[in-house]
Amino acid sequence: MKKPFYKRITFYRYLSLTLFFLLIVINPILIHKYGITFIQGWYQSFAFGNLFIVSPLEGLESILTSRSIYLTTIIGMLLPIIIALLLGRVFCSWACPINFLSMLTDKILGIFSQKLKYNRNLITLPRYILWFALITELILTLIIGYPLYVWWSPQALVGREIMLYVFYKTLTIELIIVFVVLFMNLLTRRFFCRYLCPLGALLALLGKDRKLVIKYNPNLCVNCKLCDSRCPMNIKPSQGESMSIYCWNCFECKDVCPKGALEIKWGDIKEFKKENEKLVLVPKENII
Amino acid sequence: MKERFTKNSSIKNEKVDTKKRKLIKATIGAFISGTLFGCDKKEILGKLKDPKNIAKSPITVNILRPPGAVDEREFAQKCIRCGRCGEVCPYNCIKYFDIKEAGVFTFTPYINVLEKPCYLCMKCVEVCPSGALVPCEKEDVRMGIAVLDRVICLTWNMYETGILCKTCFNVCPFSGKALKLDLHMRPYIDENYCTGCGICAYACPADTHPRSKGKKAIYIMPVRIYKKKKKEKKI
Repeated sequence: MKKPFYKRITFYRYLSLTLFFLLIVINPILIHKYGITFIQGWYQSFAFGNLFIVSPLEGLESILTSRSIYLTTIIGMLLPIIIALLLGRVFCSWACPINFLSMLTDKILGIFSQKLKYNRNLITLPRYILWFALITELILTLIIGYPLYVWWSPQALVGREIMLYVFYKTLTIELIIVFVVLFMNLLTRRFFCRYLCPLGALLALLGKDRKLVIKYNPNLCVNCKLCDSRCPMNIKPSQGESMSIYCWNCFECKDVCPKGALEIKWGDIKEFKKENEKLVLVPKENII
Repeated sequence: MKERFTKNSSIKNEKVDTKKRKLIKATIGAFISGTLFGCDKKEILGKLKDPKNIAKSPITVNILRPPGAVDEREFAQKCIRCGRCGEVCPYNCIKYFDIKEAGVFTFTPYINVLEKPCYLCMKCVEVCPSGALVPCEKEDVRMGIAVLDRVICLTWNMYETGILCKTCFNVCPFSGKALKLDLHMRPYIDENYCTGCGICAYACPADTHPRSKGKKAIYIMPVRIYKKKKKEKKI
């Protein structure tokens, strides 16, 4: 039984992804043609009136390489960091333009077959590669002495190419990076987000003890593994991994769960884990 | 009862998919060999021998940083390439370097004075979140310093050209302070007040005169180059 679309969180997530993407598409046009500069930038630094954010990794690299602290940068980084601390990696799943484009490729693949849409794992790597991506990124910037992610970050490149096209009618070679990321997404679902995104790794690290958690209730679970097949990050909510550091709170597993074994909770993630450990599980054979 | 949390991991590893591994190895190998053989080795070796070449700043005469920019040595490190300065510029004078011409300075902002000079509205400075452009007053901006070529200037060669041109003086936002006229109505620049906005260089009509062979009489030098040349007494 499928829930109606307005009751599924995934619908609202797709809506949010689309709106955030439209924002960076429409905004340069608004600025260039009508001179409305109320909203500026994209997800490297984004300004809404006088409120502005700075992407934490770019800000960190800027501080590390210039070896000086500029208060404006840190104030801009505060809001994304607080969001990551409380809600986890929600930027990735609810706002990132790369995720939006990947979602589109998913939808296009979904026309051909349902299996391709959700289950394609041509290349799977161990999940901890994500941390290596963050570490190598930071070490490389320190070796070279110039911030690197400010240049190649795919999520910023999307906004930058749109802006460059609207303003100067040119595109740059870096656009290839976006296409490579999308191509990898064709082979393995969210390959870049799972293993290679340094910004995602930083946000995941910050959101380790997040408050917004998908709580897994083993007593209600019937082990149908629908959630496992749906998860874009290839983690297994059916084994309680939705409370792990790698979950990005997209709630796709919650929507698909027929028994309500996964629920959204606000609270301490460690206590939820302890609760689950204490639970006396009912053997699955007895249910059937 | 804890089984359900820990199982599966050991079982799955037994089935090793050799085909996938070969595919991964092949793609990685192809990628590395492609990059090694595809590029110009001499160029890269030359760059590695002299690390300064990698980070050679593309800022030169008439190609300047936006107002309020920090020293060029710090700029590429501080700038996070968010592009807000270019978006907010009402005259669209701020442009961005391409990777081919700038290397590590890719997508840092610049103003090409001859295409469009800076009109010192100071909007980009207020907007910069990274400290690459530091807020300051209009008068304190030092994007560069204008240098007047007295050989080409039409007014300085009044007896030859027969033209008394005061375009730069009329156009300068600090005329009388940064750009002055002497008793013979010939312009000269006071380096203590010149902001380097480049409006004078943009407006200079000398390049249209057949005598000057397409050269403008005023060009803007970035402050660092200006100081260097001043020491060497080339200006």
